[in-house]
Amino acid sequence: MDYLYDGSFDGLLTAIYHDYYSGRAGGIYPQDSPYQGSLFQEGSHLIETQSSLADRVYQAIEIKLSDAALPAIYHTYLSNIPEKETLILHYLRFSFSVGPRADSYHTHPAIQPVQKAARRVSFEKQRLLGLLRFIEIKQEPQPLLYARLTPDHNILPLLAAHFADRLQEENFIIHDCRRRFAVIHPARSPWRLQLLDNQVTRWLERAENAITDDPLTGNPQEVWYQNLWSRYFDSVAIESRRNARLQNHFIPYRYRCNLVEMIKLEQKTI
Amino acid sequence: MDTLEKLTILVNSAKYDVSCASSGVSRRNSGGLGNAASFGICHSWAADGRCISLLKVLMSNDCVLDCRYCGNRRTNSTPRASFSAKELADLTIQFYRRNYIEGLFLSSAVERSPDHTMEKMLETLKMLRHDYLFHGYIHLKAIPGADPRLLEQAGFLADRMSVNIEQPTEQSLRLLAPQKTMQSLLKPMKLLSDGIASRGGIFRDTDHKKSFYAGPIKAAAHENIALLKAPGPASAQQPTQGANLSYGTTSASAVGHQRGEGDSFPVQRASGKPRFLPGGQSTQMIIGASQDNDLSILHATDTLYRTFKLKRVYFSAYVPVNTDSLLPALSAAPPLKREHRLYQSDWLLRFYHFQINEIVDDAHPNLETDIDPKMAWAFRHPEFFPVEINKASYEDLLRVPGIGLQSAERIVRQRRLAAISVETLTKIGVVLKRARHFITCKGRYAGDNKNIDMQAIRAKIAPAEPVQLTLFS
Repeated sequence: MDYLYDGSFDGLLTAIYHDYYSGRAGGIYPQDSPYQGSLFQEGSHLIETQSSLADRVYQAIEIKLSDAALPAIYHTYLSNIPEKETLILHYLRFSFSVGPRADSYHTHPAIQPVQKAARRVSFEKQRLLGLLRFIEIKQEPQPLLYARLTPDHNILPLLAAHFADRLQEENFIIHDCRRRFAVIHPARSPWRLQLLDNQVTRWLERAENAITDDPLTGNPQEVWYQNLWSRYFDSVAIESRRNARLQNHFIPYRYRCNLVEMIKLEQKTI
Repeated sequence: MDTLEKLTILVNSAKYDVSCASSGVSRRNSGGLGNAASFGICHSWAADGRCISLLKVLMSNDCVLDCRYCGNRRTNSTPRASFSAKELADLTIQFYRRNYIEGLFLSSAVERSPDHTMEKMLETLKMLRHDYLFHGYIHLKAIPGADPRLLEQAGFLADRMSVNIEQPTEQSLRLLAPQKTMQSLLKPMKLLSDGIASRGGIFRDTDHKKSFYAGPIKAAAHENIALLKAPGPASAQQPTQGANLSYGTTSASAVGHQRGEGDSFPVQRASGKPRFLPGGQSTQMIIGASQDNDLSILHATDTLYRTFKLKRVYFSAYVPVNTDSLLPALSAAPPLKREHRLYQSDWLLRFYHFQINEIVDDAHPNLETDIDPKMAWAFRHPEFFPVEINKASYEDLLRVPGIGLQSAERIVRQRRLAAISVETLTKIGVVLKRARHFITCKGRYAGDNKNIDMQAIRAKIAPAEPVQLTLFS
């Protein structure tokens, strides 16, 4: 029997709980995905998320497994890897049978895929801590900083705390355009993760375009700093050391559409 | 002149400085703007592939010095510009808010006098830290010759400071930067490293200033000059030991002296008290402007690490900007390969338990450019290989070309559970491209032939450049 869960981390942990106490799951899948049942198993079971059960699993992982276990499954949960829930299931089954030393089994088929997935996610998070650009949208009484992202993995929850600490006094929105989620941080308040509806998305789009297009609502200061930054970016490269391959290695093309300095660069070369 | 023009001029003058690290300091935002992440964050990569982490600019490029290798030398007719403190602080804040940068890297030409320059830089830092409540990363160049009191103030505001040593030996420094002396460069370095070691800054209190400054430091600086001379055949025998002894004692006694004497000496940071340069100190050397060989460069590097406890010594391949009979021609390409090999050697010395004389010695004073220094060592020591993955110590694993710190650690951890085969190595992420030629797994050689054959490996890894045969010889 396969378990279906609602897509939340708590839901996943609840499924893990039921797998442990009331019967083995063939696999765990999100309920809204195009789930295809296996030919040789009898159907699927929808798991109802219960945070009390999820908490128990969470604590068991914290207490009984190594320090690396919780980050590993959380990062894997945030990845876009197919069948990640089932990978986490196998990882936890094996880990609970072996104990804290499970994470040393780097080559074990239950451990290796999760460690690999977690590495990828944390790598992308680290990369986007730097490759994220805010633009300033004029607003009273305090401007809004807005960043658009198109990450491979669902890394917003990992970025939020860093920027919420760094930009305590600022209003900011970090928008994952692919998943339509956003971190919303009002100045001097806690941040929250929220699904953006079409109305808000359109408003943000208009506000972003207005910066350059609209002379009335435009933000010449923002354009000025974007130009300064682009100029800095161009000037700081040493001509006789030019090395496009190295640069491509560090900034893959898929991230460039959101980088101020790269957009300007492409316009210039056209 | 508007900010855009100034920025262009002052970035172009600053870009040859290598350091861009923003790592090593962890600080939360305590009301204001910014924090610091100990792992460091790169924000972009320029067209030359170098990372952009900090806003790297000069306060001014209007220099009184006349160093031959420098684009800002007094006698050059380049356009000159200077930022005002406010201008630069605003620029930093606005870039930082938009997440363009991780902080500020502020250097400067010597404008009018070292003190004047240092004061201007200090003004910028004060504005950033006190007026704008900026908690991001700041790297500041110390201007040699500036008043130690200014250095101390700066040390409490910046995360890291650096003094560029420029040349590995006093001879080449005298030749290329006639107004600088090794002593004038080592003096501020010594002040900063003592300040970091004491954790409470350069001065304990005002009364202490004079005696402390006039005493041990002068003598110590003199000793260093001797150390940084190009090693002759005699001193090269035991370069590291000599360096360690003569300076280590001076520095230890200076610190010990302070600790024993004072009652208010801040050995440990009181809560809320600012730390003195939590990110430590670094320096930079220009590679390829002078005739110095790799032996003297690495020797100087090692001495600097030992005596001043530097976090990093950076190497900068010399990019010709001036025409000068003593320098490589303007058309000469920067020695990038050499710079790369020096960094590799630097890593071998600091993390891989290598000694200098294992990398370069009097017989081979220069690094090979076509293979990395670890590979070169392997070819010189065929008796050391093949290394058995399941038995070799951690240190021996580190000597295998292609196995780095992380791989070695994983191997050691993994083999506690089960014997390691070649397939296991691939799974735990050890890259075998080069390593397989030098190892056995469970007694079986992992390379191409039955047994290890250094010449065949060399031919495969670094094939000799094809030579065009001539028709008539």
